[in-house]
This record gives sequence, C-alpha cells and structure tokens, in this order.
Amino acid sequence: MENKEPAIEIKNLTKKYGKHRGVINLSLKVERGDIFGFLGPNGAGKSTTIRSLLGLIAFWEGRASILGMDVKSRQKDILKEVGYMPSEAMFYPSMKAGDIIRFAADIRGLDCKKEASMLCERLGVDLHKRIDELSLGNRKKISIVCAMQHKPKLFIFDEPTSGLDPLMQAEFFKLILEYNKQGAACFLSSHVLSEIKTYCRHAAIIREGQLICTDTVENLTKTNAKRIHMIKDGKEENFVYKGDLDKLFAGFFGHHIEDITIEEPQLDEIFMHYYEEGQK
Amino acid sequence: MTLYKHEMKQNSKGFLIWTLCVGLTCLGCILLYSSLENSVKDMADSFSNMGSVSTALGMDKMSLATLRGYYATEIAMMHNLLGAMFAAILGTGLLSKEEAGHTSEFLYTLPIRREWVVFQKYLAFLSNILLFNLICAGMYLLGFLYMGEEINGKEMALFHFATSLMQIEIGTVCFLVSAFVKRNLTGAGLGISIMLFAADMMCRILPAIENLKYVTPFYYSNAADIFTEGRLNGAMLAIGAGITIVSFLIALFRYRSKDLTP
Ligand SMILES: Nc1ncnc2c1ncn2[C@@H]1O[C@H](COP(=O)(O)OP(=O)(O)OP(=O)(O)O)[C@@H](O)[C@H]1O
Ligand SMILES: [Mg+2]
Repeated sequence: MENKEPAIEIKNLTKKYGKHRGVINLSLKVERGDIFGFLGPNGAGKSTTIRSLLGLIAFWEGRASILGMDVKSRQKDILKEVGYMPSEAMFYPSMKAGDIIRFAADIRGLDCKKEASMLCERLGVDLHKRIDELSLGNRKKISIVCAMQHKPKLFIFDEPTSGLDPLMQAEFFKLILEYNKQGAACFLSSHVLSEIKTYCRHAAIIREGQLICTDTVENLTKTNAKRIHMIKDGKEENFVYKGDLDKLFAGFFGHHIEDITIEEPQLDEIFMHYYEEGQK
Repeated sequence: MTLYKHEMKQNSKGFLIWTLCVGLTCLGCILLYSSLENSVKDMADSFSNMGSVSTALGMDKMSLATLRGYYATEIAMMHNLLGAMFAAILGTGLLSKEEAGHTSEFLYTLPIRREWVVFQKYLAFLSNILLFNLICAGMYLLGFLYMGEEINGKEMALFHFATSLMQIEIGTVCFLVSAFVKRNLTGAGLGISIMLFAADMMCRILPAIENLKYVTPFYYSNAADIFTEGRLNGAMLAIGAGITIVSFLIALFRYRSKDLTP
C-alpha cells in the first residue's frame, strides 16, 4: 500500500539561527489522514519547524520526511503534494486575487479552475480586487485557495485562523474536514486551544524549541487537575489543584468551609500548565 | 516559463519608465545638437585641449564639432551611466524583492526548483536589458535620421553591444550581492554603478590607477574608444564576460541553500 509512510516524520531536527536557538532535537510523527495540532507560545519554534519541512530554511542536524520522501532530496516532489499556508499572507501587491490563484496553479502545471472557483465561492473571495486593496483576512482567504485548489495530500498551515472572522474560521475547518474525509492529512500550528480541541485528533506542544509532549488531544486534555473555588474561614480561594484529593480534604481539617465548588479546569488552564512548566 | 512571464509583467512599469526617460532624454540631446552646433564648433578645439578633462570624457579622441563626436562623448556616456543604473536596480531587486516583499514563502513553496527560479528571473533581467538597449538605440537612430546625419551602422552596433554587456555585468554583480543579504539594496547597487563609472574616468587620467581598467566595465563600453578604433577591446570584454558568468554561478550556488525567512 502506498499510504503506509507517515505524512510527516521528523527525527532529531535541530535548527539554529547562528547562535540563536530555532528548534532543538525535535522528533515528531504525523500519520496519514490525521489532523494534527502544533501548539506553543510565541517564539517556540513552530514556524521554524514548518519552514524546515518545506525546505525554505536549511538544517544540518536530524532528518525529516514528508509522505515518505526526504525533505532535502525531494523538495519539489514534496511541494507538489503539499498545500502550505504561511502565517503572513503576502502576495504581489499589484496583482489581482484571481491572477495570484491562477499563477499558483500555472506554476504547478495544473488546471485547478473548478476547485478554485468552488473555494472562492465558499470563502467569498473577490477575484477582481488588487492585493494591495485587500485586508489581512481577505488575503488569508486567497492563501487558503492557493493551498487547497490542487487537492494536496497534506496540508501545512501556520496559524491559519489568525485574522479570519469566526464565520470564515468555521468554513475553513469545514473545508479541512471535507478534504480530510477524502484522505488528506493536516498539520496546523495554532495559539487557539479550543480549535485544536475541536478539530484535531493529535497534538504536540513545543516550548523554547523543544517538544514537550505529543499525544492524542483527548489524553492531553484529560487531567486529574481540578479547579477549586471555596470560601475557607471566611476567605475566598480560587486555584487549580493537581494530585490526590484526599490530601486536599485532609488539609481542610479544623477549618471552616463555608462553600466549595470543584470543577474541570478550563482548557487554557491545562495548556498553560504545559507552557509554563520548567519556566519556574 | 510561467515565472519568466510573471517577472516580465512585474517589471513592465519600471521598464517602460526607464526606457522612455533614458531614450527620450538622450534623443532630446541629439536633437538639441543643431542649436548647439555653431557655438560648439567654435569651442571644439578648446574642449579637446583641456588636458585630463578631455581625456576623461574622450574629447581628445573625438571632436564635438560633429554629431558623431558629440554622440560618442556625451550621449553615449549618458546612456552608459543611466543604463548601468537601470541594470543595478534590476539586479539588486531580482531575488531580494521576494524577501523584502514577503512573497518568498508563497513563491518558494510552489513546486519549482530554486535554480529554475533564479534562471527564469535572470532571463527576465537579460530580456529587460536587451530590450532597453534595442529601443534606446532605435530612438537614437531615428534622431540621426532626422538630423540628416550619416550613420555608421557598424560602430553603432559595436557600441550598443558593448554597453549591453557592460549593463549585464553590473546587473549580475548586483545580483550576486543581493544573494547574500536579506534587504533590497537598491542604494548599494546604484553606488556600485556610479563608482565603476567614476573609476573608468579616473583610470584614464591617473597612470597610478590605470589597472582599474581591468575592473570597470565602463572601460570597454567607452564609445569614443570604440568609434575611433572601429573595433571592441576583446581582452577587456572577455574579462567582463568572465566576471559576469562567475558572479551568476556564485549567486546561483549561494541561493540554492539560502535560508528564506520572511
Ligand atoms: N531569521 C531568524 N533569525 C534569527 N532567529 C530567528 C529567525 N527566525 C526565528 N528565529 C528565532 O527562532 C525562534 C523560533 O521562532 P519561530 O518563528 O519558529 O517561532 P513560532 O513558534 O512560530 O512563534 P510565533 O507563535 O510567534 O509565530 C525564536 O526565538 C526566534 O527568535
Ligand atoms: Mg510563527
């Protein structure tokens, strides 16, 4: 079967910008057909990882392959099968939206008219506007069309939803789910935890250039931490408690508990804990 | 060749502006000659006896008393300098404008080899320079015809061939410089062309720096030399061609493994 190789496989990737850290010893695997979220605070190395995969920047340590092809030796073959959307949606300012979309298809040597017009319709792209007349969100839509019109086997999105209104975000994910049903894998970096939780099956968390964990989204968000809100000895307390609840309750002995609620922590609270760990 | 066409289109506005400005300015100066003629003729002798200034401008070889001499010393010099500046602007911008304009992530993640990108862009640069020179030369010829001047086709062809090569050399050196930096270095490119232009004039006057003639391409594209000798300086042209090819290859090699970050 040709679909055996993982969509993305990174082994011990290290990329430095001169003395500065980019990413350190990063290993990651994205299976075919998966929707994979890549999370991390600003400057963590998400874009660096993605640019290394696409051959925009060179790395000297580690290996990476996409759809079973080595990213260094088969860059062109890889790019044929990939739809990439950069975090900055910038194009040639004097060109019209339609010309940009056609230019991308022409370079690929493909006729993508049908798919492109369907995408433009659904995203509401005005083909006759010049790029320098468009807002960030509208340029992002063009970027989406350019990434999707050739029906790639793998999508790589760098912060795709920043700048899109909620309606467009929903439409964007609807499109991803449709392509995903047809077998395409998707790798997206994001700061928005709720969209990772809603749409991704697996996720990885990166901080300061290093991978902290990678797992199913379900496991990552499952935690024994609880948010506790109580009034103890007349004082209001509100905190996240992680660990043995018996110990927590034992600590209450001899105190007056007026009121207590114990609930699941918010999604961001779980992730903040991943982000901040080790920073102390 | 999609990218070649794209590149030509992207450059078309700048190309038209430069070509028309340079062409019309020089054509205007040719047409002005009739009104200068009488006064210039009287002064032609003194112009050719101004020592080093005459040498630098080639007026020791050609007399301003004829349109041919006026063309070889004044018009050709203007065309050389302006053409070199145009080539420098094109050369510095060719690759670096993608990074400066943040379009590199779009272009270089399309399935196209970097070598092929560089090649097509360079081809567009060559086309621009050749078209620029063809159109300008055509305008100057029309000027000559209008002035009723006899045209020596061979020396005109030789000069415009040499000046095109000179512009290509300067553009390619700028192209090489731009492959090593992130920003768009238009200013540096213009600086390079003006310095080489000045170097040509100086090395003709000062024996101490005579060897600069091997460095500056303005030396072999000097119209006064070409017109008086009726041929090109083969050795100098070969050096120029060598510099051009080596610059291009280094730029290509460097660009293949360059980190492209927006
Ligand atoms: N061109 C560069 N030169 C030097 N350092 C760089 C360069 N690009 C990125 N870095 C550094 O590499 C680290 C990772 O940057 P990267 O852009 O990958 O972060 P990111 O996770 O995408 O962040 P964000 O969420 O802000 O987009 C940062 O600390 C940054 O300072
Ligand atoms: Mg980023």
